[in-house]
Amino acid sequence: MTVETPLAPPFARVRIGPVAANPYPWPYDGAVDAAKVALVCIDWQVDFCGPGGYVDRMGYDIGLTRAGLPATASMLAHARATGMLVIHTREGHSPNLSDLPANKRWRSARIGAEIGGAGPCGRILVRGEPGWEIVPEVAPIPGEVIVDKPGKGAFYATDLDLVLRTNGITHVVLTGITTDVCVHTTMREANDRGYECVILSDCTGATDPGNHASALHMVTMQGGVFGCVSDSASVIDATSYSTDGPPHRSAAALIHESRVGWEDPS
Amino acid sequence: MSIVDAEPYAFTFDLASTALVIIDMQRDFVEPGGFGETLGNDVSHLQAVVPPLRSVLARAREVGLTVIHTREGHVPDLSDCPPAKLTRGEPTLRIGAPGPKGRILVRGEYGHDIIDELAPLPGEPVIDKPGKGSFHGTSFGALLEERGITSLIVTGVTTEVCVHTTVREANDRGYECLVLSDCVGSYFPEFQRVGLAMIAAQGGIFGWVTPSCAFLSSLAPSEVPA
Repeated sequence: MTVETPLAPPFARVRIGPVAANPYPWPYDGAVDAAKVALVCIDWQVDFCGPGGYVDRMGYDIGLTRAGLPATASMLAHARATGMLVIHTREGHSPNLSDLPANKRWRSARIGAEIGGAGPCGRILVRGEPGWEIVPEVAPIPGEVIVDKPGKGAFYATDLDLVLRTNGITHVVLTGITTDVCVHTTMREANDRGYECVILSDCTGATDPGNHASALHMVTMQGGVFGCVSDSASVIDATSYSTDGPPHRSAAALIHESRVGWEDPS
Repeated sequence: MSIVDAEPYAFTFDLASTALVIIDMQRDFVEPGGFGETLGNDVSHLQAVVPPLRSVLARAREVGLTVIHTREGHVPDLSDCPPAKLTRGEPTLRIGAPGPKGRILVRGEYGHDIIDELAPLPGEPVIDKPGKGSFHGTSFGALLEERGITSLIVTGVTTEVCVHTTVREANDRGYECLVLSDCVGSYFPEFQRVGLAMIAAQGGIFGWVTPSCAFLSSLAPSEVPA
């Protein structure tokens, strides 16, 4: 297929902030160019939140992990329109499982979901399998960055930090599942690396609602120990557009431009 | 091999490939009159960690376990402190500002050092870390590899912040982590409870949890190397 060029934002400059958030108006530095913001969508995979996926077939209520999908779809549309860098992550392992720590495999087998074993949507947590794909509601569009990660954190053993720095990203907006596991681990990693983070409560979810609430609460303590908690509407409300300043050239637009005419082999 | 009863199931480890990790037992976090208390936190929850952790540390030294200490802090010119971390919160209580026990979270200051009860012995590595996790921006990972460490006995403060971040980093790297429930502490009892529960959830998604008495009893005399 041919990669399409994105719609050029009709505004010279798009700013985000200050966003109503807890415990302080996000970001710490008042406002930020949308082009310096990454929207990171974590592990919206069929096996975790899709009908017929692994979590669904195990008898869990996927309503809990799907709860953040509509708001995340809105945030994705907003990020694409304003020129934020959109990044999707997927947890999974290579088909030969050479990147799967022995204890992670052993533990998954112990609860009846051995990574690499047969699941309802292909081999569980194996790259390329249907269950490992991102659900259609928040699927990547051509040109968007996808980070494949072997662990819970999106920074460890991936190129995420390189991608963020190369694109001049200083601020990170987090969505995804599950709040207390992969989203929290990634937020902690990003915070230690100096990225100014906000997690969106209506764009996240967990199999245990108590853990979801506690994970969000933990972020807000001690002046925002990992950053802030907000929601999609507050980010969208806090977006301003102007025709002043330098022409708007978002990181996402630059990536798209560099790929015009490039044929995706798939 | 030693076996410890733990949540969500027994934890097996070998003394030679296991390290006791003591996270951020620094005066500014733990002691009355320190930075943590100045922020309005009840340090008694962290003080409660000291006696059981002293017992674990003493026994670990007896049996020859590798002991590693960590401290959170920044170089005096704060060049390793991200702006977002530096400028959050009250200006008078910022990192680098004068605190009750020296400049807050600055390396070399009195409040930044480890409490006397758990002071490192000569030869015990002390990892200075700029963030919450012990791996990012430090030589912690290289040290573990060099010593052939594959399992971590994790202790220190605070449970839901630096202990959790370190356990999450270690788990993604394939290390087996046993968290000693009475040797980790939080200013907030609710986060202590939830923080421990999250580690052992879903079949031990980040590791194992057990009280220190179970760990100590697993170090039976027969397990002590000659």
